[in-house]
Amino acid sequence: MQEGNAMQMDPAILALSRYRRRRFDDTIDLTTDILARNFKDQAMWFLKCRALTAKNWIDDTEMEDEGVAELLLDDHSVASAPRPGTSLKKPFNAESGRTTANPGIRPTTRDGRPVTGFARPGTGSAPGTSRPVTQSGRFVRLGTASMRTEEGGPFIVADSLDLKKYAQRPALAKALCDYLLYFDHNAKKALELAAFATEEVEFKDWWWKARLGKCYYKLGLYRDAEKQFKSSLKDQDMITTYLELGKVYIKLDQPNAAIEYYEKGCHQHPGDTHLILGIARIHDQLNDMEKSLLYYEKILDLNSSNIEGISCLAGNYFYEDQPELALRLYRRLIQMGVNNTELWNNLALCCFYSSQYDMCLNCFERALALADDNNMADVWYNIGQVAIGIGDLGLAYHAFKVAISVDGNHPESFNNLGVLELRQGHLDESKNNFDAAISLGPYLHEPVFNSALLSYKMGNHQDSYNQLQKVLEIYPQHTDSAELLTKLRKHFS
Amino acid sequence: MSTMVSIGKFDYLNEPQSDTFNPKIESDKEKRNWMIHMLYIRHDYVECLKVIEEQLQSCQGLCEYAIYVKALILRQKGKIQDSLSLFQATVMLNSNNPANLKQVGRSYFLLGRVSEAIECFDEAQKLSPEDWEIWFNKGLCFGSAKQYDVAEDCLIRSNSIQRHDATYIELGKIYIQQEKFREAIDIYIEALDYSPENSELLTTVGLLYLRVGDNFKAFEYLGNSLTHDPKNPKIPPDLIIQTILATGSIIQDHSENDVALSKYRIAAVHTPNSAQLWNNIGMCFFGKVNYVAAIACLKRALYLAPFEWIIAYNLGLVHLNTGQYASAFHYFSASINLKPDFASSYMYLAITLSRLDDFDNACTAYEKAIEMESDHMFELNYAITLYNHDDFDSARHHLLQFERLFSELDEEEREAEQNVLETRQRLSAALA
Repeated sequence: MQEGNAMQMDPAILALSRYRRRRFDDTIDLTTDILARNFKDQAMWFLKCRALTAKNWIDDTEMEDEGVAELLLDDHSVASAPRPGTSLKKPFNAESGRTTANPGIRPTTRDGRPVTGFARPGTGSAPGTSRPVTQSGRFVRLGTASMRTEEGGPFIVADSLDLKKYAQRPALAKALCDYLLYFDHNAKKALELAAFATEEVEFKDWWWKARLGKCYYKLGLYRDAEKQFKSSLKDQDMITTYLELGKVYIKLDQPNAAIEYYEKGCHQHPGDTHLILGIARIHDQLNDMEKSLLYYEKILDLNSSNIEGISCLAGNYFYEDQPELALRLYRRLIQMGVNNTELWNNLALCCFYSSQYDMCLNCFERALALADDNNMADVWYNIGQVAIGIGDLGLAYHAFKVAISVDGNHPESFNNLGVLELRQGHLDESKNNFDAAISLGPYLHEPVFNSALLSYKMGNHQDSYNQLQKVLEIYPQHTDSAELLTKLRKHFS
Repeated sequence: MSTMVSIGKFDYLNEPQSDTFNPKIESDKEKRNWMIHMLYIRHDYVECLKVIEEQLQSCQGLCEYAIYVKALILRQKGKIQDSLSLFQATVMLNSNNPANLKQVGRSYFLLGRVSEAIECFDEAQKLSPEDWEIWFNKGLCFGSAKQYDVAEDCLIRSNSIQRHDATYIELGKIYIQQEKFREAIDIYIEALDYSPENSELLTTVGLLYLRVGDNFKAFEYLGNSLTHDPKNPKIPPDLIIQTILATGSIIQDHSENDVALSKYRIAAVHTPNSAQLWNNIGMCFFGKVNYVAAIACLKRALYLAPFEWIIAYNLGLVHLNTGQYASAFHYFSASINLKPDFASSYMYLAITLSRLDDFDNACTAYEKAIEMESDHMFELNYAITLYNHDDFDSARHHLLQFERLFSELDEEEREAEQNVLETRQRLSAALA
């Protein structure tokens, strides 16, 4: 941009043009200048409001992580003892007769769910993330953070506004409402404004109802939110509203109701992937693999470059003994420009299990080159697995050791080290490793079973018995444990 | 073994109380014993514990039999440490009862404190020298302390007092641990004379015959074991699975793959994560020339049990047959890494290497195999490889070696290997 030209242009036009080109920082600077000269310029006020909102926009139709307090003090779920498959907290298990992932084949995450192909909020697979204490707490923090970046105090002081006056001017009110929600994160004020505004239009504008729902949702008033969203949908059929209604039902722990509304949305908007993605995710969380895969496939029919769909399908093919198909899907991700440790690591594993050994180590090298402290241990762990696969136990041993040195909290590596030590006859070391694995990864059944077997072999039936109880708690269908337990019972009687 | 415990108890009940001073108080202590006993053998533990607690309260915790049964119940709930301290209390109350001492010893054994257990049993033996159970338990302790000779003596003495299947089984186990398979088989067959329908014995004998390579007899016993009421809930499911796997593998050896597969289908319901099962299924498909399914099954087996060399070996064989030599090489080398003393792996590795045109390493592998074990197949394959690489003199030499080893085989074995005979003819014709 030539300075000279810019100086000649009307700064208001320039600001508008920059806003359209999504150069929000420039827009904010320009509008701030103009407003400094004339603080009553409504057009510029509006533009600045929009620009600030757009700059801090978050796509809140996606799922979000739950805070610790919300997990512990959750009193929104409808049923306290739900049947399997009707609640996210009690998903399908093998007893309910659905095809779920076999924990003997497919590893589980920290929450005890089978690993999915895609790390998203709520799957809890990212290691070492600290959960915020509460959801709203995080938004308050975000609100103060965005406030601080502004010089000369906040642009709009929400508490001192006469919201009724604004509610009479629909355009300004809408901009202000979004500003309050996305920039200020002040759901209470936004709710007040939306309430006045919807009254003003005689409860006929779907937009205000949807915003009311959003505000209620943020304040944790899920039943009110549900009402508003439903009423908004009656006025106007919108994809986002369906998505947000789904989120409300997830919060209320009614996955089947969420699916119902997503399905309704799909019926109205057959080509939209977000709704299908929502359905797929819920089936996934309910451990209903077969159905979720069906929907992931549907997504890929509509949008062949949906990363989540591709990676979930790939992950599933891998654990279903079809590494060749998984390899093809991961290659597609590479072509799409995804380039991270996890992808290269998965590619390497696929190459190994589909007998393309020359590629395998290259992929691991790339994965290591891109790795950081969070995922390096996983890569080394997988290198160890591959080393076991080619029978090079020395390399495997070292790989697991490296994995532990990178991340001292890697229970899977401890478990495998334990097995390797046991093969060399080092009973005490192996026991220690199993113990470490158990304390670091209480969701794994392997180290507990290994430890139980070791105790049994060493003649300590008491420890063995206690540990077997633990295994069967984690993985009730574990046949090896059940067998060992019957043997022990025979000893006890 | 549940009968064992009740025998001990009856002994106890019939035993005269030696230190009875006040018959009135003593009978008060004992008056509810019949009820405790009845509830206990009915497995009504909740009610039983209730009665025991009442009884213990009314006699200030000095009732020996109530404590004894409480300890037994606790042990069955898996609380060995607690049950041990209760048994110790019974010994304090009445140190003349060998049943109490026996249970203390047993608890020590279950906690893995073998030397203390043996001490206890020695003590108990002073009270009742001719008790098969004490000798049996001592045998167990010595067995787990790896003092096999002493253990053997103890178990044999136990049997000489009173014969029990459990003793025979433990004795057999001790022989197996010392790899004395013949003795183990003899012991089990002796046991079968007394209880011919014990399916655990039948299965174990069958498995042992399989191990010493007598497939026909193995099949006989395993079949017997399965016919003796396969739905009997007393037979643990793992035993059935083992039997099914073993019979399946024998059927497989006679190339009746479909029959074997139908057997495995039963087992797969119980143990979907058993690597051995998947391995055998894989080899069934291999026998049916369905290589893709074979590889898929074997790979799943290898995923479940990465340390099993035989799975890697089988995968190598399948890949060799499908002409994927690089993969075959990989699996054979993995198999050799895991189990370096299996000569056939080297031969197949050599064949793979020769197909990959690595003649020098192939020869080294053949020589390694021949050095480990003299087998006519090694010589024949070596000769073929040498011939294919135009080294006729060495080929002739190894063909002669083959002839020598082949002539040492008996008629029947020679007839069985039809394609070996064919190959020999063609090779000798080419070398002549």
